[in-house]
Parts: sequence; structure tokens; C-alpha cells
Amino acid sequence: MPAPQPEDLRSLGDRLDAVQKANAARDKAPPPTSLGVAFRFSTEMVAALVVGGGLGWAIDWATGRWLPFHTKPWGMIVFFILGAAAGILNVIRAARELNAEMAKKDGD
Amino acid sequence: MEQFAVKPLIPLHLGGYDVSFTNQSLWMCVVVGAVTLFMTLAVAKRSLVPSRMQSMAEISYEFVANMIGGAAGEDGLRFFPFIFTIFMFVLFSNFLGLLPGSFTVTSQIVVTFAMAAFVIAMVVVTGFLRHGIGFLKLFVPHAPIYLLLLLVPIEIISFLTRPISLSVRLFANMLAGHTLLKVFASFVIALGGAGGLLSLLSAAPMFLIVAITALELLVAFLQAYVFAILTCIYLNEALHLHDHH
Repeated sequence: MPAPQPEDLRSLGDRLDAVQKANAARDKAPPPTSLGVAFRFSTEMVAALVVGGGLGWAIDWATGRWLPFHTKPWGMIVFFILGAAAGILNVIRAARELNAEMAKKDGD
Repeated sequence: MEQFAVKPLIPLHLGGYDVSFTNQSLWMCVVVGAVTLFMTLAVAKRSLVPSRMQSMAEISYEFVANMIGGAAGEDGLRFFPFIFTIFMFVLFSNFLGLLPGSFTVTSQIVVTFAMAAFVIAMVVVTGFLRHGIGFLKLFVPHAPIYLLLLLVPIEIISFLTRPISLSVRLFANMLAGHTLLKVFASFVIALGGAGGLLSLLSAAPMFLIVAITALELLVAFLQAYVFAILTCIYLNEALHLHDHH
């Protein structure tokens, strides 16, 4: 086998670069489907409401059980509202991530 | 909906608990076996010019490594074995679940929630190991002190929603996809049995099933990706706190 010539190597290198550039797009994250985005946002919102309401309910239950006073129904009311706020925060963060992803994709 | 039913194959009871070997356990074993076989056999030859199987294994390795490097930085790569395991497990569960007659492990909330809870527990432990008590700064945004009274509980609730949204997203996607397929399949049978012109119409839902199956393949991959990338994002926050905001 003869030693490879520099020109051969250079053209091989150029071809490899071209292939790698062509493949770079393929290795990137897949675009989210609309259904996926809808699922993402709705689970963020619902999960926060469930956690907030559940936490409030647990506090009401615990104070009624172990403390001389009970917070019912204020724990649940307050924490449900806090949960709603947390849900909106989650959705805003998810949307911001999605926007950043889209912007990155458009930039290429 | 019997495709989601968990049935005991080998009944077992230990100390009053039902620990039977179910079809769920069987398919989890199948998934783990399939991933192990795929990863070991594909790279067994270690050829410099990879075969198709070997390059599939290499692509999945590089895909996850790039994902972690991008989302959690260089020191996130220490968690590569963990995240790669989770990604491959979810991916293979989703894909194997698409085989007719099989069982989708990830369509059970118990499985996805156990994984999500483990991920979050690991994030919390990592955060405390890395930053000590300073990890709690994650819950304190930059704001005037009187707003913190309101914002800290919101941040804590927002953090507590993570295991739930992480697990529900995967479980709901799988459940919805398989239910959709079943609903359209029942249309085919109902129309086919109706007789006359209506029988001819049964081809329409059949085409839809083919299309939805293709979509489900995409969803199966996408959900495994989302699960893994969110794990990386949460790890990144635990490792670097507010650095990247």
C-alpha cells in the first residue's frame, strides 16, 4: 500500500467535514410535537395545583390532629392559590425554555 | 383496556404483602435484558469501522453524552451512567410497548413515579453534598425581603411539582397513545362488522392507525428524551444553583 499523499488526505478531510456538517443537524434534539407541548404545559399547571392543594389539605389535617387549634379551611385555600401561582411560574419557565430552544434552532 | 391490566404470573406473598411476579415485572426484565443485550452485543466486536448495530449503540451513547454536556455542563458527565440507564430503559420500554400484545411498562404511573422520585431524591442529595445548606438558596430568588415571604413558598411548591409533572407526562403520553390506538382499532372492527357499504369505510380508521403508530414511534423517543433532558436540567440546577440564570 503506497503512503497516502497530502492532497488525498486533505480532500478526505474536506469530505469528512462536509459529512459531519450535514449530520450535525440530525444529531440535534427532535422538534417537540404540538401534543407534546400541550402535555408539558398542562402537566406543569395541574401538578402544581395538586401539590398546592394537597399540601394545604395536609396542613389542615395535621393542625386539626396534633395542635390545639385547626386551620381548616384556610390552609387549603391559601396553598391552593400558592399552587396556582407556582403552576403559572412553571408554565412560564417551560415556555421560556421552549422559546430558547426554538431561537437556537432558528439561529442555525 | 385490558392491555394496561397488571396480572400476576407467579403469585407470591411475603409477610402479608403481595409481591407476585406480574406481567409488569416480566416486561421490565425483558426491557433490561433487551438493553443489556443490545449494548453488549452491538459493541462486542469493537470494530474501527462500526457495523450498523455498533453505530446505533455509539450514536445513542454520543447522543446522551452531548445532551448531558449541553444541559448540565462538564461536571454533569459524572452522572452519565445514571442518565444513560434511565434514557435507555424508558426508550426501550416505550418501543417494546408498541409491539402488539406486549405490555408498556411506562404506562403505569407507579413505574414512572418511582423513577421520577428517585431522580428528584438524587438531585436533592447531590445539591446538599455539593453546596451543603447553601443548596436551600435554590428556593430564594433575587427579590426584596417582603416579597420573599410569598415567593419562597411558591418556589418550594414549584420544586415539589417536579416529580409529579415528570412522571405524569411520561405516563399520560404512553396511556393516551395506546388508548387512541385501541379506540381506532375498535372502529375498524365495528365498521367491518356493520355490513354493506359501511364495511368498506373500515379502511379509513385502519389508515389512521398506521399513521398514529408512526406518531407513537416519535412520541416514544421524544418522551424518553424529555425525561432524560429534564433530569439533566434539574441536576444542573443542583450542581450550579443560580449560575446560569
